[in-house]
Amino acid sequence: MSLDLNILWFILVGVLILGWSVMDGFDYGVGGLLGFIAKNDSERRYVINSIGPVWEGNQVWLVLGGGAVFAAFPLVYASVFSGFYLAFMLVLWLIIFRAISFEFRSRVSSTSWRGFWDASITVTGLGLSLLFGVALANIIMGIPLNAQHVDYQSLFSLLNIFAIVGGLVSLSMFMMHGSAYLVMRAEGEIQERARSFALAFGYAFVVFTVVFLLISPVFAPRLLGNSFGIAGDIVPVIMLIGGAGVILTAKSRSEFLPFIFSVIGIIGAVISIAASLFPDLVPSSINQGYSLNIYNAASNPHTLFVMLIAVLFGLPLVLIYLFYAYIKFGLKVKMDDSSY
Amino acid sequence: MNGLALFLARFQFGITAFFHFFFPPLTIGLGTLLVIMEGIYVFSKKEEYLRMTRFFMRLFAINFVVGVAAGIVLEFEFGTNWSQYSAYVGKIFGSPLAIEGLFAFFMESVFVGVMLLGWKRLSTGAHWVSTILNALGSPLSAVWILVANSWMQTPAGYSIGKDGIPIMTHFWRVVFNPYFLYEFLHVVIGSWEYGAFFMAGVAAWFLIKNNKDIVMRKALTIAVIAAVMVAVGQIVLGDLSARGVVRYQPTKLAMMEALWHSQKYAPETLVAFPNNKTQSNGPSVGIPGALSMLSYMNPSARVMGFDSSIKYVNQKYDLKLTPSMFPPVWIVFWSFHIMMYLGFYFAVLMIIALIFLFNGKLLESRKLLNVLWYSAFLPLLALELGWFTTEIGRQPFAVYGLLTTANSVSPNVSDLEVVLSTLMFILIYIALAWLAIFLFMKEMRERVSGKDEISGVITARNEAVTGKEVQS
Ligand code: HDD
Ligand code: HEM
Ligand code: HEM
Repeated sequence: MSLDLNILWFILVGVLILGWSVMDGFDYGVGGLLGFIAKNDSERRYVINSIGPVWEGNQVWLVLGGGAVFAAFPLVYASVFSGFYLAFMLVLWLIIFRAISFEFRSRVSSTSWRGFWDASITVTGLGLSLLFGVALANIIMGIPLNAQHVDYQSLFSLLNIFAIVGGLVSLSMFMMHGSAYLVMRAEGEIQERARSFALAFGYAFVVFTVVFLLISPVFAPRLLGNSFGIAGDIVPVIMLIGGAGVILTAKSRSEFLPFIFSVIGIIGAVISIAASLFPDLVPSSINQGYSLNIYNAASNPHTLFVMLIAVLFGLPLVLIYLFYAYIKFGLKVKMDDSSY
Repeated sequence: MNGLALFLARFQFGITAFFHFFFPPLTIGLGTLLVIMEGIYVFSKKEEYLRMTRFFMRLFAINFVVGVAAGIVLEFEFGTNWSQYSAYVGKIFGSPLAIEGLFAFFMESVFVGVMLLGWKRLSTGAHWVSTILNALGSPLSAVWILVANSWMQTPAGYSIGKDGIPIMTHFWRVVFNPYFLYEFLHVVIGSWEYGAFFMAGVAAWFLIKNNKDIVMRKALTIAVIAAVMVAVGQIVLGDLSARGVVRYQPTKLAMMEALWHSQKYAPETLVAFPNNKTQSNGPSVGIPGALSMLSYMNPSARVMGFDSSIKYVNQKYDLKLTPSMFPPVWIVFWSFHIMMYLGFYFAVLMIIALIFLFNGKLLESRKLLNVLWYSAFLPLLALELGWFTTEIGRQPFAVYGLLTTANSVSPNVSDLEVVLSTLMFILIYIALAWLAIFLFMKEMRERVSGKDEISGVITARNEAVTGKEVQS
């Protein structure tokens, strides 16, 4: 198996999903924690401003991921989004509410107004974190793609036990990630509370991951036992290492280690999913022959090549912008008159 | 494919695209004006320009975030609602969308955060650079989305593969397809036009309340000068776009002009009541020969009518389209004509405003200030009507000559699902529009008394909610 354009694109899409889950992941996490970690209005503003200047940029990873899948693997874009129609609409509505909540909340100083948007930030953060895992677990299980690669199924068939456990894995993962992010960015009491949350969600993440792996042979044999043999089976251990690291360091004095371990946990999750799918992208549960893989779902070589060049130029630029934004706002949250 | 599913998918896409496009033009237009205002501040260090920038930036932020929220819906709608479309043209159409994310959205969205929240973190110059980068990002995103759209109007740079699916052969020909430049210039200049009208209208509103307001006096000057240039330019660009339609989309031209049968000395119809059933216009007013003149620079030139344009397209693309597959002509006719009339109105209005400005009478003329305020949002109407012309006029094609809209719909999404989700979108969008208007008026009223962030009067966002909330 030589490294061809299609494989490169498989890797690139994985990298974009990783960028999304690491960077938008802590936004979802901080959002989901908002209702629990902050006790009054000024604390809530403090927590929101930990992601204030960057959430909008982070969110573009999702848009870019969508665009990249459309460009490189158009058939996946066509069948997954139409197949998960209502579920996907739900995701879109959550995203709409989340985006406006940040901008609108502080513009009116009334308790009920702010209470509403704070609740919205919390609910959308929790919801998006949960749905991430539900969607991916369904894909690993395989969806009923027919010979035309079209999938007819209902919203409720997406909610099976395996997918729910998958959702709990991603929910705990992003909450752990958001807590670890706050340990790094916050000070004082909020930081202390974030440490406790990181510890709790670290445990939850490890437990749910173990359950997920244990039941996977029944629901999704390809998770363990993928194309990479033993090497592939060991990958999910990275998730557990990340989780264990967060547990061990959450209450230590370090401000960075919990976040670093939580990133490791996420990397483990994304690689596990990628390894379990490869070379398929969307396995068919009806007939393996109907699956979409990196060859039958892909654009033609010219498109893949042009887009590869675009990514090689564009991605470094993106990283520079993001780096600049993070640097300018400093490590610890500071509020001033232009903060949210 | 049943007609209901097609109708529903169109309706949903139409509503969501329509709603999204309420916001991008102001992001583009006001974004550029912010660069100018802040630039004057950076070089002159006059505080009123800083106040101006910060005030308009607060309005900008409301618009921007709703635009982003609504845009993300569209990004995925090609997959959810138009899966056959995506599967058919994805090998070409997906690329501009991905490039847009990579080269434009990241730039505008990262720098919008830095720009809005970074006043105390960056030096004056570095802040201005962020404003510039944000303002560059939005027209850049227009470039790529309009590459995608103009390619649907005039597909180029592809060949049909073995499986009958178009594949990209020349990337740059896809990008610079025949329509692209017309469409890009017309849309971006239209957006600047809206930005300038918006700024002029807002400034006029304040001057009606208090015409000593030094910040708004200067804002009005900047806006009127900007508006007059783009409003006149837009007429020229509109004419260019129309010539593109003449060359590439005869069916659209016939609908835009309600020309049913081919003729020499074709009239530019000004008022008509087009009826598809009888293929006639009812009582109508027009300028004989003007359409032939505009299309071919020759009043006796023959212009293709609706019936022969359909025959022409059928022959050219080997299809069997019938007149009943085309949309009601009156929609396309009136969308186009109202846009055009608005275009002339805008130019005339701003020329008058400019003359008043030079004579020093603008700030004293309450009437004119009122007209400016009432016209502030009219360019938005022209922009939406322009899209109606382009998109509905392209029907029954999704990709002109290659793919009909009827063959684009997702086969696996049920009517009920689309109805439910459309209702939900309508509810959410009504709420969003209401919130955006409410916050906009709130910002306006708060400033009337001359309070703003710089004069030290704290605005709502910096006040903690007081009372029992704090202890709880
Ligand atoms: C002429 C310009 C124009 C047009 C025709 C469209 N958009 Fe748009 N879009 C913009 C100009 C724009 C913008 C100015 O770049 C926005 C508006 C507000 C904003 O913040 O960025 C934006 C935001 C925006 C976003 C959010 C980006 C982010 O997170 O920063 C997405 C995903 C899309 N759009 C996608 C679309 C799609 C799929 C369209 C076509 C069907 C579309 N837009 C039409
Ligand atoms: C943001 C500005 C836009 C507006 C206001 C707009 C408006 C519309 C409207 C009203 C329709 C419905 C037409 C009908 O039902 O007859 C439509 C259809 C459509 N448009 Fe646009 N459009 C916009 C931009 C775009 C862009 C940039 C693209 C492509 C990238 C696009 C692609 C489509 C497609 C695929 C359809 C569905 C097929 C159809 O019904 O025509 N639109 N649009
Ligand atoms: C005298 C004035 C105008 C003329 C002759 C004119 C002409 C045209 C024509 C022929 C089209 C259709 C092009 C196509 O189908 O591809 C169009 C589209 C459009 N117009 Fe205008 N226009 C005028 C003024 C305006 C104004 C003032 C605005 C907004 C401020 C505007 C915004 C648009 C938009 C957004 C579109 C759709 C995008 C496109 O196809 O370029 N137009 N215009």
